[in-house]
Amino acid sequence: MTDQSNEKSGFLARLRKPSAKYSLLTLLVVGFFSGIFFWGGFNTAMEATNTLEFCISCHEMKDNVYQEYKQTIHYSNRTGVRAVCSDCHVPKDWTHKMIRKIQASKEVWGKITGVIDTKEKFEEHRLRLARNEWARMKASDSRECRNCHSFDGMNPEAQAKRAQKSHSFAIEDNMTCIDCHKGIAHNKPEGMTEEDEG
Amino acid sequence: MSMKFSAIALGAMLALGAGAASAAAPADWSKVAAKKITVFYPGVSPIEWITKGSDHGGARLLKKGETCVGCHEEELADMGQKMASGSKIEPTPIAGKAPAIPVNVQAAHDGENLYLRFSWKEPKASGSAKMDADNQVKIAFMLEANKVERADQSGCWETCHGDARTMPGADDKKTKYVKGGDLASGKFYDLIQWRSGKGEAHDGYVADKRVEDGGKGLVKAEGKKDGDTWTVVFTRKLAGGGEGDIALATGKTYNFGFAVHDDHAKGRFHQVSMGYTLGIDAKADIVAAKQ
Repeated sequence: MTDQSNEKSGFLARLRKPSAKYSLLTLLVVGFFSGIFFWGGFNTAMEATNTLEFCISCHEMKDNVYQEYKQTIHYSNRTGVRAVCSDCHVPKDWTHKMIRKIQASKEVWGKITGVIDTKEKFEEHRLRLARNEWARMKASDSRECRNCHSFDGMNPEAQAKRAQKSHSFAIEDNMTCIDCHKGIAHNKPEGMTEEDEG
Repeated sequence: MSMKFSAIALGAMLALGAGAASAAAPADWSKVAAKKITVFYPGVSPIEWITKGSDHGGARLLKKGETCVGCHEEELADMGQKMASGSKIEPTPIAGKAPAIPVNVQAAHDGENLYLRFSWKEPKASGSAKMDADNQVKIAFMLEANKVERADQSGCWETCHGDARTMPGADDKKTKYVKGGDLASGKFYDLIQWRSGKGEAHDGYVADKRVEDGGKGLVKAEGKKDGDTWTVVFTRKLAGGGEGDIALATGKTYNFGFAVHDDHAKGRFHQVSMGYTLGIDAKADIVAAKQ
């Protein structure tokens, strides 16, 4: 017992003791480059989890929402600008991204326990899961939509009459994108109620 | 004396002539302004669907007073295509069904009758089984006297419900109806239909249910197919006068919509117009001016 605590304090003490072997410059240079290396590695790994390929490596995503998304304008359009899963579902800025990634770790648990591992189970949970995402988007004033879209940048002249009118009402009523654009990239869930609109 | 007699005779002839002219459809319809209205295949889009925001985003705008045509006017044919093809709200698409038909609508009146003329080019037949073997074409229009709530926005849709015949899973006996509709309070649509089979017409109404006959407003309806162009002219007394007849007054506007059952269609498998206004010598989408 005494030996162990001595050993432990000895290790801690060694970490806390100034180095006698390496110069301060060596330590700083090694520390600086190691920092870049690890930070870069961390972010690279995190970015890897932001790719479409990563998302659809799970059959739950590939067989359901991905197939629906492939039929939409965010996947294929005239100008070839594609918004992948993370563009809409993961914040761009680092802080919000980290928070979202930590929250998403819960989805790993869902994967392990097979909450939505069949088509039937997916449909059973679709409304609940969609509501979670709608609430997240609403709370952030559709931040991820607005990374690309803005009322300022819209040219109503180029829009269909239906869109022109809807957008002018939306501005007037201070609405946010997700209020109207639910189901823009995936099928709408069965069982939506009036509360789910707006 | 004889000159005096001649003058009286001439006057009488003129008066008679004028009388005869005042109760006739325009001799030359080409001189009457035509409004092109696209009727389209509506799939399963009853008023319950229209007013549910999670199904139809426009429900929000409808609540704000917007009309259906206000948003959709330029995309009617595209909408028809989506539904006719079965890509949207049509569980049983008919292969080859026309998605939309542009119809020329003309109106006139002579102080006694309203004349409504519809003409359209027949689209290619789908070749599918005939739902109504007796009638290749039926055309009907509805008029509403600004009593039914929202009728000025949605036209005939106030009579279109998900539980009415030919809707998926609906009772085959239930006709179209107006929610809370009844003749006494004026909450009804006047309904007139022409059928190509025997060329007969029906003058009825839609209140709490659809009644096909009983109206006294319809004088006659004549339709013909010339080449591939159908033309149907309705003559209706402005005053109406029967059960479910709206009395049309000069200077007033009425809510108006119509539908074409093309290609032997039945029930909901028709081509419908959105809601428009018909004015009797009054500013409206379609103006019936005095001839």
